[in-house]
Amino acid sequence: MPERQKNARIRHIAVALDCSPHSRASLGAAAELARLLNAELTGIFVEDINVLRMADLPFCHEIRMFTAESEKIDASTLERSLKVQAKDAEESLQRIADDLMIKQSFRVSRGIVPAEVIAAAGEADLLVLGRSGRSPTCRKGLGSTARKALEEGKKPVLFIRPGFSAKEWPVLLLYDGSEGSQEALSATISIINPGMRLNVLILGETQAKSVEMEQALSEIMALPDSAVEYHHLPLCAGKTLMRYIRMVDSGLLVLSERMKMSREEVHQLINEIDYPVLLV
Amino acid sequence: MARPSKLTPEQLYRTCNPQEFSFNTTADLDGPVTATGQERAFEAISFSMGIKHDGFNLFALGPNGTGKQTAIMHFLGNSAPEAPIPSDWCYVNNFEKPRHPKALRLPAGKAGALSHDMEQLVEALVTVIPSAFSSEEYQVQEKNIREQFQEQQANEIAELEKKGAEEHIALIRTPAGFAFAPEKDGEVVKPEEFMMLKKEEREAIEEKIIALKTAMQSIMAQIPKWQRETQEKIKELNRNIASFAVKPLIAELRTEYNEIEEVSRYLEILETDIIENFDQFLDKESDNKELLPGIYPGKFSQKGASFNRYRVNVIVDNSVTKGAPVVYEDKPSYQNLVGNIEHISQLGTLVTDFTLIKQGALHRANGGYLLIDARRLLAEPFAYEALKKALRTRHIRIESLAQLYSLISTVSLEPEPIPLDIKVILLGERYLYYILSVYDPDFTELFKVAADFEDELPGDFDGKLAYAHIISSIVHKDNLHHFDRGAVARIVEHGSRIAQDSTKLSAHIQSISDLVHESDYYAMAATREIVQAEDVEHAIHAKRFRSSRIREKIREATLRNSILIDTDSEKIGQINGLAIYSPGGQSFGHPGRITARVRLGKGEVIDIEREIEMGGPIHSKGVMILSGFLGARFGTDQPLSLSASLVFEQSYSGIEGDSASSAELYALLSAISGVPIRQYFAVTGSVNQFGQVQAIGGVNEKIEGFFDLCNARGLTGKHGVLIPASNVENLMLRHDVVTAVREGLFVIFPVSDVDEGIEILTGIPAGELDKSGCYPSDSVNGMAVARLNEMAEKIKKFSSSQNDDDQ
Repeated sequence: MPERQKNARIRHIAVALDCSPHSRASLGAAAELARLLNAELTGIFVEDINVLRMADLPFCHEIRMFTAESEKIDASTLERSLKVQAKDAEESLQRIADDLMIKQSFRVSRGIVPAEVIAAAGEADLLVLGRSGRSPTCRKGLGSTARKALEEGKKPVLFIRPGFSAKEWPVLLLYDGSEGSQEALSATISIINPGMRLNVLILGETQAKSVEMEQALSEIMALPDSAVEYHHLPLCAGKTLMRYIRMVDSGLLVLSERMKMSREEVHQLINEIDYPVLLV
Repeated sequence: MARPSKLTPEQLYRTCNPQEFSFNTTADLDGPVTATGQERAFEAISFSMGIKHDGFNLFALGPNGTGKQTAIMHFLGNSAPEAPIPSDWCYVNNFEKPRHPKALRLPAGKAGALSHDMEQLVEALVTVIPSAFSSEEYQVQEKNIREQFQEQQANEIAELEKKGAEEHIALIRTPAGFAFAPEKDGEVVKPEEFMMLKKEEREAIEEKIIALKTAMQSIMAQIPKWQRETQEKIKELNRNIASFAVKPLIAELRTEYNEIEEVSRYLEILETDIIENFDQFLDKESDNKELLPGIYPGKFSQKGASFNRYRVNVIVDNSVTKGAPVVYEDKPSYQNLVGNIEHISQLGTLVTDFTLIKQGALHRANGGYLLIDARRLLAEPFAYEALKKALRTRHIRIESLAQLYSLISTVSLEPEPIPLDIKVILLGERYLYYILSVYDPDFTELFKVAADFEDELPGDFDGKLAYAHIISSIVHKDNLHHFDRGAVARIVEHGSRIAQDSTKLSAHIQSISDLVHESDYYAMAATREIVQAEDVEHAIHAKRFRSSRIREKIREATLRNSILIDTDSEKIGQINGLAIYSPGGQSFGHPGRITARVRLGKGEVIDIEREIEMGGPIHSKGVMILSGFLGARFGTDQPLSLSASLVFEQSYSGIEGDSASSAELYALLSAISGVPIRQYFAVTGSVNQFGQVQAIGGVNEKIEGFFDLCNARGLTGKHGVLIPASNVENLMLRHDVVTAVREGLFVIFPVSDVDEGIEILTGIPAGELDKSGCYPSDSVNGMAVARLNEMAEKIKKFSSSQNDDDQ
């Protein structure tokens, strides 16, 4: 089982760009984090090899989005379109980087999208990507790239969905005292905006342990009481946890794969939850 | 014929005895002013105000300054407050046709309340609607609808994608749409691998792809429909939410106004409009742009001018009106009468809406009375026609003149006309009434009642007391010093003088008011607390002095003999006539020399003034009457063998009127008979063909004019004036004239026949026909006949010698 990097200081953030709404939200969040952590930002655009290959197939037709007309796919037009998309992505990155005065780089590669994104993000300390990309089904769960990053990724991943601003989001940390949740805690502290509310959902095996953990946490964090709110829940997973998270209705959910609940349970939670998630 | 006797001083001036009055000063008179002598006008006013039918509007006619307006206001002051208070009117937006704003009628005082309630409603909506739409329930419902659409779309495509996956066909998102391609291990089959497949396999794949593509197209064709359905659902939700928020607020208003059907109906439409346009109440805080710049940003415009559509433009507010309104429109221009639609400039364009409709005097006076000065009304372009139209149609229709005449071309409004129920009272000079009656057929239809104000009041005790009350009211109104009864009596006397009638008093209140103010000034200058007769006298003298420049110049020229007036000797064919000069409202008299010369001729009298067109028609008529008189008196037995010429010496402008005709006749008689006329007399009076002397105007000024000249040269006791006997009642002469008469230095003869006059002027009797049909030879007539016979003889001789020469 691959193990995610320990939460070292985040100096380099990679963000996957594909001109979808999720991707634009990812760029915004990634840039905001980069500014906060003073990190470098790398934009990754992958030219989908599947699309290019398809263009070379003799019978392939494209169904136009707004006319539903069918038209023969022309390889050169397709290439040009991909270039235009890449250029758009680069320009957005440049614009936001200039605005926030952060260091940026942009990388274009060609291949199977999920694999290429994971590969291109290799050097980065954090990968930021949309929960789903330009996938035609607009499904509610994770997109193929996000799924791949979740399954194979070895570094912290931030899954973004539109409608949440990194500048203003309150953070909800899942904490159960495990090593993983310790890492989630330190990541949370490093990324939380000053003045933002921090919700800590303590999953204790017993009430006593829960209270103990809260005391320990308040000592470690040394944040003013008003900025932190503690919630207690018996150790659980699945639907109960999800319902509680929705009740708290916080912005970013921070958690670790290596908590007391199983990795699959964590993945399922990430797959189904509606909020942006930082997985460390 | 008996020579008339001189007038006594008492006949020259009718004094008003202060002892007639029971009060000491006008301070004792604080009762209401009782109008006297205007019964005819008041009867007309009362009739016009009382009758409810169309067209019985009033025209109050009479000279300016006779207190028409005051009298009508006084009358209405008693009756108008008893009348019912008319309705309020306001304009509101017409949501269906914004170009035609709707007029709402409300009970008095309710329009202001409705306007206030609407402001409150908008204030409330600005809070209530955004909070309803930001509620969690709404957000959740809206999100659900949108996600339902997303889900439907996603599910359909996912289903297709799944079907494809079963056949190893992948759904690929291209930059511009979708495509299907054969896949293997999650990757699209490379073209070279694909080409290596058997032909049947390739065709099978191709068929599958075509089937999937067709399915995809049919899904995509349905997306717009789903979108529409989603939009409709969201709209429905919005309507429900807005309606839930708005209905209780409007319901409250509807309960309050449920008795006013029009308002209930308006509120119903308003509710629908607010619900349909709920979004204008959202996010208004940031919308600060002014739609109507230059207008004071009221409560609504601060939150966006779009709320203007829910405003109530109160046109008539009778909340503080007592009874029927009485409005005097000082400037009866078109806009001031029927109202106006204002425009404001917005980015170089002129725009307007119903809130820019302005009321006119007709709106303010609707249900009551509107007073307008007729001359001012006629001087304003289009105003008279607009007033007539409103009265004829019984509606006030506001139209933009500039639009009507295409002076500007921009968006304008056609507000719903407001029903009109009004009495219009026009105030004006008589000539305006007569001109309008003759030339405007509408006028007699619309102004059926005329209140003809008298120029004069009776000079009896009631009239004098009315004067005292008028003086008292002026004193009270303008905070002047009070007048003692002596001063009041002096003003009464002056009133008779203005009226040119010792038995009447002038109804020209303006002149009296001026004299009261001027007397007050001199009393104040003399540090007197109460105005006395001498202050009034001072004011009258001062006024005469102020306007005496021309009079003095003429007299000066006469004294220096630049203008030749003889007031001492006796001359044949020469007489002093009396003329009136009226420059700038002041009038004064002055003697003018009239001369007559005779020669042989055929009996005509030549009026030199007429020959050179300086004489007016009445003057010429007077001279022709003289021919008639002479012919009848001297030409019945033989033709008149003379030609006479008559002239006003040293006249450099036109001459009009027949008041000099008696003087001309005396000059002619003198010229014919050769009897000299006493130049220390002056003569006024017109004459008819029978030689009767008839009344003339301005008798006081004429006498005073001659008196002043003689006085300046030195009165000797022989100076005097001949006036028509019928003018004696008009005498209200100056005190110095009366004093001179009393002292025997000046005489005034009332003459009723030329024979009386010629005897006074020549000292020789006129002479009456004896039994043989002859005049005594020592009479003026006798001498005239002798002279005429002599002239006839000469003509006869001349004619026969001429005939001899011809033969």
